[in-house]
Amino acid sequence: MSTHALSFLSGLRARWVAVIALAFAATLLGANLTAADAHKTETKAEAVHADHGGAACTSCCAAAPSWQKQFGYAYLTAYMFCLSFCLGALFLVLLNHLFDAQWMLPIRRFLEHIACLLCPTMAVLWIPIGALAPHIFPWMGPELQANPDHALHAKYPLFTTQAFYIVSGLLFVIWYVVTNGLRNASLAQDKDGAAVHTRTMRKYAAAGIFCFAFSLTGAAIYWMKALSHQFFSTMYGVVYFAGSVWVTVITTYWLLLYFKNRGDLRDVTREVTFHDCGKLFFAFTVFYAYIHFSQYFLIWNAAIPEETFWYVAREKGSWWWVGQITIFGHFWFPFLLLLPIHRKLNFQVMTTLTGWAWLCHYLDLQFNIGPVLYPDGLHFGFYDVLSLGFLISVLVFMFTRDFNAHPPYPQRDPRVAEAMGVYVDPASTKAAH
Amino acid sequence: MNAYGLMAVFDNPADAMHAAEKVRDAGYTKWDVHTPFPVHGMDAAMGLPNSKVGWFTFCGGAIGYTTGMTMIWWMNAYDYKIVIGGKPMMSPFFSFPVSYELTILLASFGSLIGMFLLNRLPRLHHPLLKNRKFCAGASHDKFIVVIETADPKFNTEETRKLLASAGSKHIELVED
Repeated sequence: MSTHALSFLSGLRARWVAVIALAFAATLLGANLTAADAHKTETKAEAVHADHGGAACTSCCAAAPSWQKQFGYAYLTAYMFCLSFCLGALFLVLLNHLFDAQWMLPIRRFLEHIACLLCPTMAVLWIPIGALAPHIFPWMGPELQANPDHALHAKYPLFTTQAFYIVSGLLFVIWYVVTNGLRNASLAQDKDGAAVHTRTMRKYAAAGIFCFAFSLTGAAIYWMKALSHQFFSTMYGVVYFAGSVWVTVITTYWLLLYFKNRGDLRDVTREVTFHDCGKLFFAFTVFYAYIHFSQYFLIWNAAIPEETFWYVAREKGSWWWVGQITIFGHFWFPFLLLLPIHRKLNFQVMTTLTGWAWLCHYLDLQFNIGPVLYPDGLHFGFYDVLSLGFLISVLVFMFTRDFNAHPPYPQRDPRVAEAMGVYVDPASTKAAH
Repeated sequence: MNAYGLMAVFDNPADAMHAAEKVRDAGYTKWDVHTPFPVHGMDAAMGLPNSKVGWFTFCGGAIGYTTGMTMIWWMNAYDYKIVIGGKPMMSPFFSFPVSYELTILLASFGSLIGMFLLNRLPRLHHPLLKNRKFCAGASHDKFIVVIETADPKFNTEETRKLLASAGSKHIELVED
């Protein structure tokens, strides 16, 4: 199996790797350049931090963060990055059943496998976060636990250590039930072709979309937004959702291309499948911009200190540039690039854009998580490489194992002929079975 | 009386699609296929490039966005300055929603105008509308290929042969 996992990686194009490496190098260079700038205004920054008054700042303004903090933040960023793909895949599978979509059939099986990584794989990988939580989340630290501030008090039943672990556990249970329910019915249909499985999957999808919305919001709030527990934003979960589906759709495009070239999905993949995938990516490019702009706009307009401090902290040092990458790299570049129809069908453009989307989404998560520990700017170090490498390797290995163990696409779905672009008379279909 | 074009009637979309491929490969430029419903793949069968309407939409959108931004700047920050909520006189944030609405509005106007211009609409009459067979079939259960006499490759005999070889059971010359 491990050789399969490696052959999967060999499909990465050299250009793809080069773009990521270059962009990371450029970002690091930018971070170093602006770090020098940040030192000059250090005293000013401390004054701003004193304004927040939060005990959170006692941890970040200390001389050097402990290894638990450094590793914890790096691991959390990598974890939220990987979680994006699993949740994005789950959403696309739910979407497939809710809209009874025909075009998604070729991509459904591998998305089901990616969604199933949520539990138990991602649950096991969450253990380091659970163990390091008191180091990662300032509100769980000893000072705030002993003397809760107003914000913590106001969010009382939710922001307690017990609630944190109970809700986190509950999220994995929900994900286990929904993802495995969907995949089991799909695999069962491969064997007997019964219509009842389609109805089962529709029921799972109808209930699952609500579970998905609540659980994703819960994960985004407890594991990411809670880093600044004083912060308020009703749109936080949706921003994470939009970014997650955005990066998942372009990755789906790339996987579809990869599996088509490898032969697994050759029979069901048509030009229109890629076009539809590209259109969905384009739609989420706009949707993410709309949602993140709305969050910023509401906070900017209301100008309440409990909310604005979050963005003020993210305009310091090289975080400013990470924010600019989100505006121009996450939105404007793919938006303008993909306006003409033919670019969505250009495999070289879309493959390169996959790497670009990974970078932008990772930086977006750094933008959400990093400033709490590193107020002076973006840090990308050994722990980040280690965490990302480890998590991605584990997920790729688990995914490849699942993918190779089952048929590559739903074999006897009622819409399989339609997805192949073949018209079959209802009567002859009956006779064939 | 001038002839407008040669009209060939087909009974199903597949035949019309194959006929379209033949006409396309024969190198005709002034021709069209009329069907009661959109037929998937017909664009490719006819060899049609992408519609140019998108450019009208894009220009409309760009004009809408710049108009919105300029209007808000001129009204709030230049012509009659009013401080609202301690905000700057001009900022891309508060002026974005309105500019965005104007982008959408003018982009849709652009699409509409572009569609009319490229289709050479409005026009009061079209020679095909005088043909009973066409009117009864094209919006009901027939798939009709029409090659105009204005096409440089048009030749009454050759074109008729081409359409007959594509399997049309009814071919007639439509008069202007």
